[in-house]
Amino acid sequence: MPLTANLDLLTPEFALAGLAFLVFAADLVLPEGRKHWLGWLSVAGLLALIAVSVIMLWGVEETLYNGLLAVDDFSLWFKVLFMVIGVFIILSSMDFVSERLEHQGEFYGIVLFSVLGMNVMAQSRELLTAYIALELLSFSLYVLAAYARDNAKSNESGLKYIIIGAFSSAILLYGVSMVYGVLGVTKFEAIAAGLAAIPDTGAVSPSLWVGVALILVGLGFKVAAVPFHMWAPDVYEGAPYPITAYLSIGSKAAAFALVLRLAAEGFVPVGDRWEQWQLILAVLAAVTMLVGNLVALAQRNLKRLMAYSSIGHSGFILAGVAALSLDSNLPSNGVMLYLVGYSATNFVVFGGLISFFNMTGKEMMSDLAGLGGTQPFLAASIAIGMFSLAGLPIFAGFAIKFYLFTAVADEGFLWLAGLAVFASLVSLYYYLQVVRQMYIEPAEGEPAYGHGYGYEHVDAEHGEQGAGHNESGEGDEPAPARRYGAAQFETHPALGRRPSVTVIAVLGAGLLAVFWIGVYPSPLLDTIEAASKAILS
Amino acid sequence: MLFQDVVFWLLTVVAVGSALGVVLIRDLFRAALLLVAVFVAVGGYFVLLNAEFLAVVQVLIYAGAISVLIIFAVMLTRDVQQGNPPNRLQIPAVALAALLLAALVTVAVDTQWSFLPEGERQSVELVQTAAVSDISPETLEQAGAAGESAAQGVGLADLLIGRFVLPFEAVSVLLLAALIGALALVRPRPAPQDARASGAESASESAGAGAAGSEAD
Repeated sequence: MPLTANLDLLTPEFALAGLAFLVFAADLVLPEGRKHWLGWLSVAGLLALIAVSVIMLWGVEETLYNGLLAVDDFSLWFKVLFMVIGVFIILSSMDFVSERLEHQGEFYGIVLFSVLGMNVMAQSRELLTAYIALELLSFSLYVLAAYARDNAKSNESGLKYIIIGAFSSAILLYGVSMVYGVLGVTKFEAIAAGLAAIPDTGAVSPSLWVGVALILVGLGFKVAAVPFHMWAPDVYEGAPYPITAYLSIGSKAAAFALVLRLAAEGFVPVGDRWEQWQLILAVLAAVTMLVGNLVALAQRNLKRLMAYSSIGHSGFILAGVAALSLDSNLPSNGVMLYLVGYSATNFVVFGGLISFFNMTGKEMMSDLAGLGGTQPFLAASIAIGMFSLAGLPIFAGFAIKFYLFTAVADEGFLWLAGLAVFASLVSLYYYLQVVRQMYIEPAEGEPAYGHGYGYEHVDAEHGEQGAGHNESGEGDEPAPARRYGAAQFETHPALGRRPSVTVIAVLGAGLLAVFWIGVYPSPLLDTIEAASKAILS
Repeated sequence: MLFQDVVFWLLTVVAVGSALGVVLIRDLFRAALLLVAVFVAVGGYFVLLNAEFLAVVQVLIYAGAISVLIIFAVMLTRDVQQGNPPNRLQIPAVALAALLLAALVTVAVDTQWSFLPEGERQSVELVQTAAVSDISPETLEQAGAAGESAAQGVGLADLLIGRFVLPFEAVSVLLLAALIGALALVRPRPAPQDARASGAESASESAGAGAAGSEAD
């Protein structure tokens, strides 16, 4: 078969790289002040590519380059997810970028490159291809984390990220080389065949164990699983706000896409040996969810809080990976559903927080005090996002956690599912702390007010508000007339402004997704089922 | 055989000695120079293993490019002459490193590295040995006899622009992204007469806690 066969199946990737070049080229000719058009160009391009991918690749099941790449439903599903993430990140970073960062063209172009890296990651069925795609994503993120170059914290964040990233990549590569040294192959399915060929009675050679362990460690760094999570809080805190969102949504989803395909095609088919590795993964998941959620309790900085929260969610997703098996698609469905629900929820939370930061430049939890009065829509969005992250019903968080934990328990990891429920319960505390800050704590320099509010009350009232927004799709919040939070206006006059239409649209779409996944996920589950079938067969 | 043994032990003394020096010497600049010695010695190992191509790549990239990069970074940075002061994690770090070393040595000694399927192993050997100049009709014929997979993997170059052309192309995108990113991080900001740019600058100056004052220019 010639190598150029089926090359047209890569059209979305070629077009995405082309789109990035187009953005760089347009950056040269656009005058200063029009640069935000580049953001719109990227968004339009990504939306077009989503449409093209779905139309071209729906139901296609082919491989390219001798099985190096798979174009199947799994790839398509993740590709669409990544491009939607790209659209959301670019939309919610536009205000931030034009106000606070320089070199906007490069910013959007590098975001597009990172989406390209994620797309290739989801498609690769071979360790080296996956590694290079992972590096493309990582390099883009290193640059983006340091993008606020006048900010010492951002520089520190970029530096820490690149050092830890290079370190973890080296570990990953070392593991790959050991696996290659023993089995002589790097394709996932060939790894599975090689592992299956080892006789059951014979011991697995120690270098294979070490190689797989090193790969696990390297990927553990990328998904910020405990004990390889130390970098995450510092990097998240220093990175520009939209990039913090991107790190916690995009890079996590991409790393798990790779983990899922590697586990499902390379290790699950091996049978007995997969069961041994399952236990290791389960312990890793348990430690990750506990440490992430417990340490989050002590956080006062919103970005650090979200960092530890994302570590905790990594633990939940890892539990799903640990439960993968050939008998049932439920765990892999659960992981994918979790990723999409988690992404939608984080769009909402970060959309609100980024908008708040644009108005005030503050990122501590205590700075949110009084936001319920000054910016009711933002506060309601953040609150709904927090409820969803904690896993309360109606919102996406409940549906995804319910599905995933049930799947984990079904596969015989009852203790892990119980632990996950306990960890979610712990997380409720710090998520509600944020809500409490916004609705109950008085703003600085203001007498205590609003202590009569109960959580249920806040939930009901503002949940409705957010929902109402979705349906009407318009954003004209009445100017805040209440005295509550008035002191915030004096310190931050920008809080009197209405959020821009883009912000409202992003938040509205995010809220819609959160409610949709929370109430009626079954159409989504159909597509996920097809994707699971592509890797587990 | 004897000659090879002598060379091997010479290389080993140089490699291990220099590697210890890299870790133990306080002066970063000298440590960087010793690192070059380690790289060259490892290149020597590759020659002993008949992997000339890897040896050349090792010397060109590691001893050449990467060491120069490190030395430049040391020269351009103030106050790094003395390296890191010892801290309270030193003992655990040493213990962990020793443990890892023990594990890796055990693994390297214990493993039967010949678990490769026959055809694949031949192709690997061919890639390692024949990449530079050895490709002759005879070796190709042997490779053909070893099976189709081996025939496809005649040389590194064939692999790179054959089966692995996609990752190869992805590397070029990766390098481009790194290049553009590096430029974006160090390029001077737009000219100050632009009203919007200066507005953005003052906004970023008043930005959140911890923002370093922007450099005057």
